[in-house]
Order: sequence, then structure tokens, then C-alpha cells
Amino acid sequence: MSGILPLEMNGATKWFGNFKAVDGLDFTVPQGSIVGFLGPNGAGKSTSLRMALGVLSPDAGRTQLFGQSPNLETLKRVGFLPEERGLYKKMSPRQIITYFARLKGMSARDAKARADELLDSMGLGAFAKSRVTKLSKGMAQKVQILSALAHRPDFLILDEPFSGLDPVNQQALEDLILEEHKRGATIVFSTHVMEHAERLCQKIVMMARGRKVFDGTLDDAFAALGHAVKVGVSDGFDLGEALKGAGFESSLEDGSVWRVALSPKQDPQSALRAAIDAGAPITSFSPQESRLRDVFVSLVSAAEAQDLTDTLAADAAKAKEAA
Amino acid sequence: MHSTYLVARRDYLGYVSAWGFWLGLLFTPLILGIFMLAPTLAQNSQPTRYFTVIESGTEFTDALRREMDKSAARTARVMLDPVAAAQEEDSEKLKAFDTARDKGETSLDAFVSAGGDPSILPKQDFVEIAPPTRNIEQLAPFLLGQQLLETDEGPQPLFAAFIINDATNEIEYWSENLQAQALIGSARNAERDIKLDAALAGVNIDRKLLEDAASARRDVKQQRVRVGAQVEAASEVTMADRAPFIVSIMMAFSLWFLIFSVINYLLMGTIEERSNKIFDSLLTSVKLPNLLAGKLIAVLLLALTLMTFWGLFSTTAAFFFADSIPADAASNLNIVMSAAANLGLVIPALISFVLGYLMFGSLFLALGSLCDTIQEAQTLMTPLFVMLMAPLAMLAFAVQDADSALIQIMSWVPVFTPFLLILRIPTEPPLWEVLAQLGLMAVTTVIILYLATRVYRAGAVHGAGVSDVWAFFGKMVPGKKSSGA
Repeated sequence: MSGILPLEMNGATKWFGNFKAVDGLDFTVPQGSIVGFLGPNGAGKSTSLRMALGVLSPDAGRTQLFGQSPNLETLKRVGFLPEERGLYKKMSPRQIITYFARLKGMSARDAKARADELLDSMGLGAFAKSRVTKLSKGMAQKVQILSALAHRPDFLILDEPFSGLDPVNQQALEDLILEEHKRGATIVFSTHVMEHAERLCQKIVMMARGRKVFDGTLDDAFAALGHAVKVGVSDGFDLGEALKGAGFESSLEDGSVWRVALSPKQDPQSALRAAIDAGAPITSFSPQESRLRDVFVSLVSAAEAQDLTDTLAADAAKAKEAA
Repeated sequence: MHSTYLVARRDYLGYVSAWGFWLGLLFTPLILGIFMLAPTLAQNSQPTRYFTVIESGTEFTDALRREMDKSAARTARVMLDPVAAAQEEDSEKLKAFDTARDKGETSLDAFVSAGGDPSILPKQDFVEIAPPTRNIEQLAPFLLGQQLLETDEGPQPLFAAFIINDATNEIEYWSENLQAQALIGSARNAERDIKLDAALAGVNIDRKLLEDAASARRDVKQQRVRVGAQVEAASEVTMADRAPFIVSIMMAFSLWFLIFSVINYLLMGTIEERSNKIFDSLLTSVKLPNLLAGKLIAVLLLALTLMTFWGLFSTTAAFFFADSIPADAASNLNIVMSAAANLGLVIPALISFVLGYLMFGSLFLALGSLCDTIQEAQTLMTPLFVMLMAPLAMLAFAVQDADSALIQIMSWVPVFTPFLLILRIPTEPPLWEVLAQLGLMAVTTVIILYLATRVYRAGAVHGAGVSDVWAFFGKMVPGKKSSGA
């Protein structure tokens, strides 16, 4: 089995009527990795994951799970938490987890034992036999996550698993993901909250407007954006003008604090040295770490700007043609 | 197959664990029982109503008494032998009753003479009582209930009074109850008899002569040609000949009732899954055809549970009340039960039931997958309910004559076939026709299942809704541009 990718998408495209929801998506999920599938709302993340699972068929391109088109056998190795949360309201958490585990091929006895084990581990043992309607939203969400991983899948696909959870439960879910990863599971989760991805993922795939805008490691992501330093000066000193000659782009952020942008290869010390050389009355100096959020905003904004440009160009071409 | 079993098991247990199911299970026989016993219960629970007649002679009074006695005799004959009375045949019991009546016995005495149990006779609705006064103004407080009559049951109000007004030559009917028409109807019949007697007397014909002539009429005996193993049997039509028709009618109505009573579960279950957003989790665990099969099997099992429970309930009730069932009725029941065990009827009935259920069930399943709420489903349910009610209307026609041209033609329409084919089986249609209709029904069921699967996929996977269905039909109308998605 080694060497076979849990998920591979090649040029996967999906149309809904005249709307192209996903446009030629290519990416792979290496075995044993945790992959963050990032993008703003409406970027096409859920559609892509539903295509990955065979719930939706791509209109072009292909998706493969464990080297095969998605089928019931490969899907038995997958645990899926859909974006739209739902449980059978008249069933108990134990019944629901057992039901989905059995659908994935577990025996009745193993499924029940596994349900009890998972519910206890997540502090839901006391509610095992209560109706779902008696559970809080967070508890119900935990039950759904547990029913996705009850059959010990090789590959977990979690669509927006953190949404709707309070910080305590978000942390519990992060721990659970890491535990599943430690067990050997490959994990893909979609989110638009970057902090989770920063903490958990080795690989990031970003989408905007149905297209992939980034695919790489966290380091690659940070490298793509560059970084900056913040320099405080007194006496209304114009640091922007002073550093221009040294090739730095600066902008006044807050009264007397300037943000000096650095290229990925520039050292923060070089900016400090240039400021001293320019005679700046420095009152503070702090390097600014680039965050995934900045990378995300930058890439998504660029994609949206490009999209807008493309749309305007297309409209202009149409108008010209009509004229 | 395992996933189909798991889906069916979960759905079935979900349905039977609901209160609604148990209420339906227990209350349906109760409601049907009440429905059947209601007329008798209502009649027995109604207090005796007292009326009086004020006339200068006794002509109208006598005629009314005779008319009410005839009415009581009609009721007694029906209670004595319902089947023969309905068929206007002369059974031994009815002959004995009529002979006793001819000897001048009252209806009650004749009923007992003919072997009837007087306790089953409904009590008399109206009892004549001597007028408390012959003055209409003094009668008014009795009619208004302000003054009561002395009766065997103690003081009672006066329900009605007939006053034969010699001055105007009119029969006046006084009562505060304007709705009850039974007594006034008897009075009209009595008056008709008076006039008929007078007319006959005018031409010197005794009324008795007409009654004797009517009594001497020859009975029309229904016969049928016996063939095969039955060639030695008497040709006269018996209960055994009628039993298959009775059974087929019962089966056709039961089939319709079962489909109608369980099909809603499919709709509700699918709407629940759609509104609870469970489809994606399910569709990554089960193949769509297995999911649908599981759902259909669950509700089919539910229908079989209902049938089994009601069957056991009826058998147990029959066992405990066996002593109360008259020997004739028990014998007829046995004949009907034997007819119900006829494989020639049972096998097509079972096939019709399964195919009919799948046909209608898959339609409701598909409809449910398009709706988030019951309110949404309402807009599409009306045509489906019309489709379900239409076979019921056809059944009403078919009961009269299952071999009529209309029923023969309509039984080829697949949505009617499950019900009408069962009714036609006792008329012994050609085998090729039975097989062809079953085949056509099977093909239609497969087509509907295929289309329903597609609609279900559109609803479950793509989130298609009711508006999309209307938009789809809108596009089919030539020259009409649909505004829907």
C-alpha cells in the first residue's frame, strides 16, 4: 500500500449551471500527512472535498482515493465529517456512532465497544444513551466527528471541523486530530481559520474563486510573502524618505511607528543598520513574523483581484465585439 | 446487501420506536371497530322517543302502526340473515320468519320463532302513547318538554304528535326536532297505504290478494356452470362461490389502506434526513441504490408489522368471542378464510402489493428528498394524493362489476393495476392477461424506481428543491420560459 496517495485530484472541475465552482484543481495528499485545505467562504473547498469522496462527480478531470476512483471499498478507509452538520435527532450518540461504524464495515460488537470508548474519551460517556436533541451544539458536533473516525479510518477528511466549537472544544479537536495522526491516519481538513492550520499542518492547499492559489509547506507559504520590521522614531522623523535610498519600502503605521517591508531574503538587521546610518532617532525596533493569515489574505486578494481583472477584460472584449 | 440491511434496520427501529406508530397500530382497529359499530351503538344509545296521534277515528293510527311493524320486520329479517336479506333470497330462517308473521306474530316473536337471538335486535326508536290531551294548545307544553308524559320508563318528554285535521283534511306533524325524518317518513308511507287501500277497495280488490301474489313470487336462483373438479357440484351459487369476490375486495382495500397508511413514513423519514443534513455522511458509507432499498424495505416491514398485528388481533378477538358468533356467520367466515388461502389469489395479490408499494413508495421517497419541511412537501403532495385516491374511486366501480369493460381497460393502467387486478382475479381473466399486467406493472415500477433514484440524487446530493421540479416541468411547456433554477 505504501506509495499510494490517499488522495489525488487532477484537473478536477465542477460546474453548477453556469457557475464554475471548482476550476482544474490539482493536488495530492501524501500518506501520513496533515493537510490544511484553506480558502475563504465560497472558494470551492466543500465542493472539492465532495468530489474527492465521489459524492459529486467532476465534470472534467479526475479524483482518486488510494489510487482508485472513489468507491465503497476505498470509502471504507475514509472518515468524513461534512460541512453541513446533521445527526438523527431521535437516536442516541452511542447508536449513531455504532450505526456509522457498522456501515463502514465494523462488526456490531466492535462498533458498540468503539462508540463507548470514544464517548468516554471525549467526556460524553454520561450522554451515551441520551437523545441527540438533549445535547448541546458542541456535544452534537463532537458526536459527529466521533462517528467519522469510529472505524479507525486510514484517511480522515474533515470539512470545517472547528466551526461552531468554543475554544476549549477547538483545542480538544486539535488534540484529537493529532492523536489520529499519531495513530497513522492521513488527515485533510478545510478551514478559514489560519491558526489551526499553522499549528497542525505540514502542507497547505489554498483556494480562492474555485482555483488553487497555493500548494506547499508552511515554510513555502511564509517564504512566498516575505516579512517586515517595525521601527519607532521620535521628533516626527521621516523614516520612509530616509530609507528609500537604501532600497526599503516603508509606511507610517501609527504616529511614530514605521513598518519597513523586507524581501524574503533580507535580514531584519539590515533594516536596523540602514535606519541608524540614516540618523534616525530610534525609540523601538521589533521584527514582524509573517503569519499564515497574511499569506492567506495576500494570496486570496491577489486571486480575487486577478479574477476581477479577468472579468472586466472579458466584459470589455464582449462589449467591443458587440460594438 | 449488508448496508441495505443496516439502513432498513435503523429506519425500521426508528419508525417503531415512535409514539405515532403505536398510536396508529392500536387505534386503527379501534377506530374501524367504532366506525362499524357506530350505527348500532348510536341507535341503541338513543333514548326511546314517544309520539302520539290525535284523530277522530283510527284509520291513520292503524296504518301508521302497520307501517312501523313492517319497518321492524325489515330490520329483523336483516338481523336474522344479513346475506340472504341483502340478496333478496329466501333462506330457511327468512322463510320461518315470514311464515310466523303470516300467522300474525309480531316481528319480535317471529324473530325468536325463526331462531333469532332477541338481544341483538335494536330497540324500538319510536313508541306510540295515548294522547295526554286532545287540545293542541294544551299539548304544547308536552312538546316543549315543560310537561312530561307518564310512561313505563317513567316521566318522558313528548317527541312528536300527529294531528289529523278533519277541517282541512291535512295530517299535521308537530315536533320541536326538525331534523329527524324517520317518523315523518313512516307517516307518509302509512298515508300512501291508506290511499292505496281505498283505491283497491274502489275496484273491489282486496289488499291481501296483492300481498299473497307477492309472496307467491318465484325466487330467482343464481346458478353457475360447474366445470373441472366441480362438475358434480350443484349449480346453485353458494357462499363458497361468492367468497373469492369478497376476499378480493377485502384484499384490494387492504392493499390500498396499507400503502396509504405507511407511505407517509417514507416521506417524513426522507424529509428528516434532508433537513438534518445527513445525506453526505450516508452517501460516503452506502451506495445510493442500497440506501433507497433499505428505506423501502424498512417501510415495507412496517406495513407487514401492521398487517401481522392486526391479523393476530382479529384472530385473538375471534377466538375469544367465538361463542358470540352465530353458527351461520362462523360457517361463512370459514368459507371466506378458505378462499383467502387460495394461492391463485394470494400470489398475484402479494406481487401486486409489493410492486404497488414500490411504485408509490419510491415516488414519495423522491418527493421527500426535495423538501426541507412538510410545508414544502405539501405543494407536491396534492397530485400524489390524487394519484392514490384515484384507485380508490376505481375500486368503488370494480366492486359493482369487476368484469366490466371499464375495469378491464383501467386495470392496464399501471397505477391502478395493483388494486384492480386483485379484484379481477375471481372473474378468472385469461392467464396471459394476468401475467402481462403483472409484467407491465413490474416494468413501470422499475422505470419509476430509476427516475425516483435520479430525483433523490438531485435532492440529496445537489440540494435540488421543490422549485426545481416546477422549473423542470415549466421547461417542458412549449414556448414557456421557466423562471426557476
